[in-house]
Amino acid sequence: MPRLGLGDLIGAGPRAVSRYTGTLFAVFVVQTLIAASCMIAVTLVLAQAFSHLPMFDEAVDGDLVALIYCMRHGKPSLVATGGIVFGAVVLWQLASWFLAGGLNGVLAQRPEGRGDTARCFGASGATTYLAYARLALCSLPGWVIALFVFGAGTSLVSSRIANALTVPELLGPLLVATLPALLLIHLLWTVSDYARAELTLRHDTHDPGVVATYLRTIAFVIRRPVTLVHGALGWLVFVLVTAAYAYLAQGHPMYGAEGAVTLFVARQGVSLLRMATRVGILAGQIELGRTRPLPPRRIEVKIDPKA
Amino acid sequence: MPKIDGSPALRGGGAARSPRIANYKIEARLDPVRHQITASETLTWTNAGASEVDTLPFHLYLNGFKNDQSLLMRSSRGKMRGARATDTGWGYLQIASVHVAGVDLTSKLHPAAAAGTDETVVELPLVQPVAPGATVEVAFKFTAQLPEVFARTGYKGEFHMIGQWFPKIGVRVGPPGAERWECQPFHVNTEFFADFGTYDVALTVPNTHTVAATGVLTNAVDADRGMRTLTYHAEDVHDFAWMADPYMDVMSGQAKLDDGTVEVRVYYRPEQREFARRHLDAATGSIEKFSAMFVAYPWPIMSVIDPPVDAASGAGGMEYPTLVTTAGDSVFARPGIRFPEYVTVHEVGHNWFQGILASNEAEEAWLDEGVNEWADVHVMADLYGQRSSFIDWGGWQAEAGALRRSLDGGTGDSPSPIATAAYAFVDNTAYAESTYTATMRALQTLERTVGSQRFAAAMKAYTKKFAFLHPTGRDLFATLGTELGQDLTWFFGPVFHEVGGLALKLRHADCKPAHAPRGVFGDGSATQTVTEIEAPDRGTWACEVVVQNTGPIHIPVDIELKFADGSSQHLRWDDRGTSTWERFALERSSRLVEVWLDPEAKIALDNPTRHHYRLTGDGAAARRTGAWFGSFAQTLMQIVGP
Repeated sequence: MPRLGLGDLIGAGPRAVSRYTGTLFAVFVVQTLIAASCMIAVTLVLAQAFSHLPMFDEAVDGDLVALIYCMRHGKPSLVATGGIVFGAVVLWQLASWFLAGGLNGVLAQRPEGRGDTARCFGASGATTYLAYARLALCSLPGWVIALFVFGAGTSLVSSRIANALTVPELLGPLLVATLPALLLIHLLWTVSDYARAELTLRHDTHDPGVVATYLRTIAFVIRRPVTLVHGALGWLVFVLVTAAYAYLAQGHPMYGAEGAVTLFVARQGVSLLRMATRVGILAGQIELGRTRPLPPRRIEVKIDPKA
Repeated sequence: MPKIDGSPALRGGGAARSPRIANYKIEARLDPVRHQITASETLTWTNAGASEVDTLPFHLYLNGFKNDQSLLMRSSRGKMRGARATDTGWGYLQIASVHVAGVDLTSKLHPAAAAGTDETVVELPLVQPVAPGATVEVAFKFTAQLPEVFARTGYKGEFHMIGQWFPKIGVRVGPPGAERWECQPFHVNTEFFADFGTYDVALTVPNTHTVAATGVLTNAVDADRGMRTLTYHAEDVHDFAWMADPYMDVMSGQAKLDDGTVEVRVYYRPEQREFARRHLDAATGSIEKFSAMFVAYPWPIMSVIDPPVDAASGAGGMEYPTLVTTAGDSVFARPGIRFPEYVTVHEVGHNWFQGILASNEAEEAWLDEGVNEWADVHVMADLYGQRSSFIDWGGWQAEAGALRRSLDGGTGDSPSPIATAAYAFVDNTAYAESTYTATMRALQTLERTVGSQRFAAAMKAYTKKFAFLHPTGRDLFATLGTELGQDLTWFFGPVFHEVGGLALKLRHADCKPAHAPRGVFGDGSATQTVTEIEAPDRGTWACEVVVQNTGPIHIPVDIELKFADGSSQHLRWDDRGTSTWERFALERSSRLVEVWLDPEAKIALDNPTRHHYRLTGDGAAARRTGAWFGSFAQTLMQIVGP
């Protein structure tokens, strides 16, 4: 197996996105549907509370005092809104085990034609769903540690943050305090991605155990820093795209263009770009995953007695 | 060596502005390592009443920091304005001796009878009663141990903010012949109340330290072992506070008044220079504005202490005569977010309500804090613009008064009325809401009801009439009634003395096509049935609007109705409390689409969220917000999944 470099991993992204644009769109449509459902539910909740109150219009148009009044007046609606958003994210998390499995399957098996791609997507998503779920459970202790590191780091600098007078005085300690946690989170994220790739790539041939795969992947990611750099680049693009949109929308209260539909469509463009980036990163991870040493074989091999 | 102030203690000199009942001479020495002050004090007190005095009560405020059984610690639970009392930094005031007319009465000094575990008030029985008009001289030697900074006073590192640090006599109040002592123990909600007088204070501090103090600096000489003695003189003030710190710089400017100038000095650590500039501008501007609104600032100097950021929650935001501490320096207080400016304006403003009028802050704190809040809003608007007086940043704007009201818990939440003694509120939140914001709301409502100019003139008359006289709430109400030429008891009674606010809302509004009466009319042979054929729709709309106010406060309300054809109609409910609701019936050529109670926002006593109604819902804003949340959810989804 040739040893892949960062350029190979990055290059795999555009290739995969251009080859499986339809698959990308399919996943995006599912996500958009969930986001749109969330939008509609939130709209109904807020309309119920505020549609008769012109003060809410002023709040949305950037009147800070009106916004505070409405938030105080509509606390139950805001709690409900938070619950809807949380529910949408949890729903997506559950769905994403299937969708990521499907995407990984397509990227791993490289099927031709819509029909084969769809079958491959569905089959891979279904077969790895529970493995991905177990993988999420496996990674929980790591997340707890990351949370602890984050809490410890921020508590160390909390007084410096509270007493900061300038932006560098604020960001400096904040960065130093959160960097360990951020690095740990990035490591955990990358490990999860490569473990998923491994579970997809080797499912049919080796049926690797989830815990063993997770532990082996930790070692693999640590030995191959290119995995972390590649993943970090993906997050960098994600942040840049988001920040660019925020910059362009600056000065518009609530990041608003005129009208909900315009707003939704503009944001979908941003979301699509970010998802393409994520899929591109997945493609690179699958390419690198192919080059990993094979896991121990757990599949029972039938031996033909006649052979 | 600091430069001696050449000016007299009162601007332009002249006669005493106050009765000067309690006059202090103090010599104090700061030990900056132990954060301790050793001092001798001579109080010359005059019995200005018509009855004899046989006992003198004294505030020993620093004993509020002595242990967790003091009233201050019990009522604050060791927390105040984000600062916490520490177990390592207790403060106290120990009296080594007390002599009256040369007689040692140290052994006679005892805690006030009703104080319990609190040691912030002591009483001194006299050998000879003080006759009306007579004067007594009381000499103390004492040690003041400063707490680690909390509740306005103490040290933090090498910074020392020294307030309420010496034995301070109570105030005789009440009608002539039946006077009583007012000398409340130190409670978290109560600030201070004292007689006016002169202060001559010699402070011996390390010669490395910058000092700011009440009054004017009259002398500065080097003393032994690296110390320096600075002598201050103040007239017609009721307190003396000071600050010592080895790192402070000074920035100064001048406030220009009609009859002269006031030197404004901001003391700050070098890293806070940018904020010091903002505080200086706010202090200078506010002295000019407050002087124009009320009476001219009578002293030649105003010192503004900008405490180090780690001491700001404990030491910041406090007023003393001619010296205030400010706060708000933070990375989040970007230029345009005027919280630091607001703190300075508020504290400087206290020099009128706490410094010049000097009402009893234990019994009627609202006369200082709340009236000051009302005035602050005007000063902020004058200095920074009406719409953006508090926030003008990143496309967001907010006016100071409106922002304060929106952040407040709302009228009627507090279980005590505004006119409640500060120590009698159920908790600090209720105290703050009633004393600060509810009072501001009440005065704004009255101001908008009677007219801004008339109200401003009435408030000016009040301050002129009662400067240096410790006015009460009754004095304020009476003056406003007289100056505004109307009986305002209908307003002051419920607003200041009753629990609950205004609860104004639209109960019902709708329209239906108007027509002549239909149905069965008359009896027997005279029975006549009128159908829609005989009484067809006239093409107009019969509208009905019902407004209710179930709160204890009743104020006339303007109502604006808007109709589908773009026209509007004004109504007025002259609500004086005779009814809790009012029904309006009208016929119009177009359907009613909006009802706006109090469209000019005169009523600051109510939450305005429900004042403006659209009869048919419009979900456009909800859709835009929903789109924002949908997009936000999608961003989160993309973080957790592909």
